[in-house]
Amino acid sequence: MAQVEFQNVVKSYGAFEAVKSVSFTVEDGEFVALVGPSGCGKTTTLNLVAGLLDLTSGDIKVSGKTISDLDPKDRDIAMVFQNYALYPNKTVQQNLAFPLKMRKVPKRDIGAKVAEAARLLEITHLLDRYPRELSGGQQQRVALGRALVRDPQVFLMDEPLSNLDAKLRVQMRSELKRFHQDLSATIIYVTHDQLEAMTMADKMAVMSGGVLQQYDAPERIFEEPANTFVAGFVGSPSMNLLPATAVERDGAVYATGDGWELVLAPRNAASARASSGPGIILGARHSSLGLHDTETPGCIQARVFTVEPTGDITFVHVDVGDSTFVISVDPERRIAADQTVWIEFDQNKLHVFDAQTEKRIAPG
Amino acid sequence: MSRRSYNAGWSLTGWVFLILLLIFAVAPMLWMLITSFKSQFAALKYPPEFIPSNPNLEQYERLLSPKNEVGRQFLRYMANSIWVSTATTILGVAVAVPAAYAFARFRFPGRQALFFSVLFRNMFPAVVFLMPLFIMMRWMGLVNTYSSLIITYLTFGLPLSIWLLKGFYDNIPIELEQAARIDGCTRFQAFYLIVMPLSAPGIIATAIYSFITAWNEYVYALTFLNDDQKLTLPVGLQRFFTEYATNWPGLMAASFIMSVPVVVMFLILQKYFVRALTEGAVKA
Ligand SMILES: Nc1ncnc2c1ncn2[C@@H]1O[C@H](COP(=O)(O)OP(=O)(O)O)[C@@H](O)[C@H]1O
Ligand SMILES: [Mg+2]
Repeated sequence: MAQVEFQNVVKSYGAFEAVKSVSFTVEDGEFVALVGPSGCGKTTTLNLVAGLLDLTSGDIKVSGKTISDLDPKDRDIAMVFQNYALYPNKTVQQNLAFPLKMRKVPKRDIGAKVAEAARLLEITHLLDRYPRELSGGQQQRVALGRALVRDPQVFLMDEPLSNLDAKLRVQMRSELKRFHQDLSATIIYVTHDQLEAMTMADKMAVMSGGVLQQYDAPERIFEEPANTFVAGFVGSPSMNLLPATAVERDGAVYATGDGWELVLAPRNAASARASSGPGIILGARHSSLGLHDTETPGCIQARVFTVEPTGDITFVHVDVGDSTFVISVDPERRIAADQTVWIEFDQNKLHVFDAQTEKRIAPG
Repeated sequence: MSRRSYNAGWSLTGWVFLILLLIFAVAPMLWMLITSFKSQFAALKYPPEFIPSNPNLEQYERLLSPKNEVGRQFLRYMANSIWVSTATTILGVAVAVPAAYAFARFRFPGRQALFFSVLFRNMFPAVVFLMPLFIMMRWMGLVNTYSSLIITYLTFGLPLSIWLLKGFYDNIPIELEQAARIDGCTRFQAFYLIVMPLSAPGIIATAIYSFITAWNEYVYALTFLNDDQKLTLPVGLQRFFTEYATNWPGLMAASFIMSVPVVVMFLILQKYFVRALTEGAVKA
């Protein structure tokens, strides 16, 4: 297994820069999720590692050696595609054997390796079938099998679970995670689903518009998002973001907005002071907010828009000025639309972003 | 009206129509076959014999035996036709496959314009090009050579072949080739080990189509060739059997022999053609 190093990786399609100077390092045996909205350059980045696309500039190194000038076949990398890309005119057995055959592995070893991979993925009974005779979940296992028969240095996976139904996706998610632990394989896993990334990955690389926004462990990304994009992208429902103006008065810092005002606790006041201008954005997760039915000091007034019970938790959407907040409450709570409520902020979990740069300002 | 009787009504109309079409298509073939078994005299009888009173294989024996003059000549034409059609087919596939693949996979400047210029030829009836092509062939010194026919048939067959095959390549997910390259193939191996086999129905359909077109072509063969030894079957037969008086059974037997490859290939063709046109999408 191996370490993968991205050094100022740039990929342009004509005048359009799909990947903009991306740098990060995937350590040996790490499971890294490359996550971001559709079109942000995830597949492009993965294809650059695979060698299916040529770098515009920068470098990619595997175990310290540059691979940029190698053909895909010489990179010792395996890839699982979103649509599986199983060879339709080959049986499962032949699909699994193909990468070994192309690498001139002796016939006897091919049989043994295919059998071993099939056993690991529990597809032994499917070996004589053609891909079209398999269910989506089975095809997905075969695709995985074709990647792992070869025992490659790095596994690349491009949204491998996105074509499965919800239940199977959850099951495959845990199997993949288990598979990673057992093989201690280096995996770069592309997904647009932040939940998938959060649950599976050792580290997440969050991308947007071709730019790497943040690269860190999932819990760090969740707790300390680098900017408003990451804050809004990671977590479901996403973090509530409230534009405000910081005003210094009588030694305290107030965040004021359209018809509301909140006095900031010292840690957040320090952040607000460090902002490049008076414009700030407050960020609060649904779970760090409380709802009161009556006016309470230190809370801001809002009006309930809708109430969404989901069973063990109820989400209340409230309008604060021009913004909408989502707040989770106990399902026992009786709250009706158009009701006036007061929102309480847990200031220890409040984030302050610079409205100019959209970057998070660490609490003072 | 219930849905059932509605369908039944349509299905009845459909059957009547099909049977009429079948009679229209099959009756001449049948008549050709019947006549080929008759004697020359019986063939001219009026009213005609629907079932030959004295069926014999004399014409076939004569045509297929290299021992007599007629047979030698016939087999010679047949060999010429096989050569021209086979060369057209092989060259046609050899050109159409990479061309279609390039149109489907590569983005290059003028791609769209080039693709339509390829199809442009098919907007005109073939005879329109007869004189210009003849002049070009003479200019290149190709008159009275097989090359003149092969080149002409290629330019006529290629547009459809390229268009048909492009549909196939368009529908083969690019990820299959990418997977193959990651699995250890060169670009070319990915093409011929993975993509080519998937487009096999298209390639077979194109090949048969090219062959039949070349096999049946008459007008260009008549114009470009004048050496009696070089004629292809359609032209040869026409000269050969109408030189003095028409030998109807001989002509019919020769025509029947000539149509055997066409019919056999058409039986294969229709299967692949349907696949080529409907199944083009390869489900991975
Ligand atoms: N061959 C190409 N030519 C031009 N633009 C492309 C090409 N491939 C992808 N793009 C563009 O690059 C961006 C990133 O694409 P991609 O890496 O596929 O995104 P993702 O996988 O994150 O959804 C998109 O805006 C896409 O339209
Ligand atoms: Mg993608």
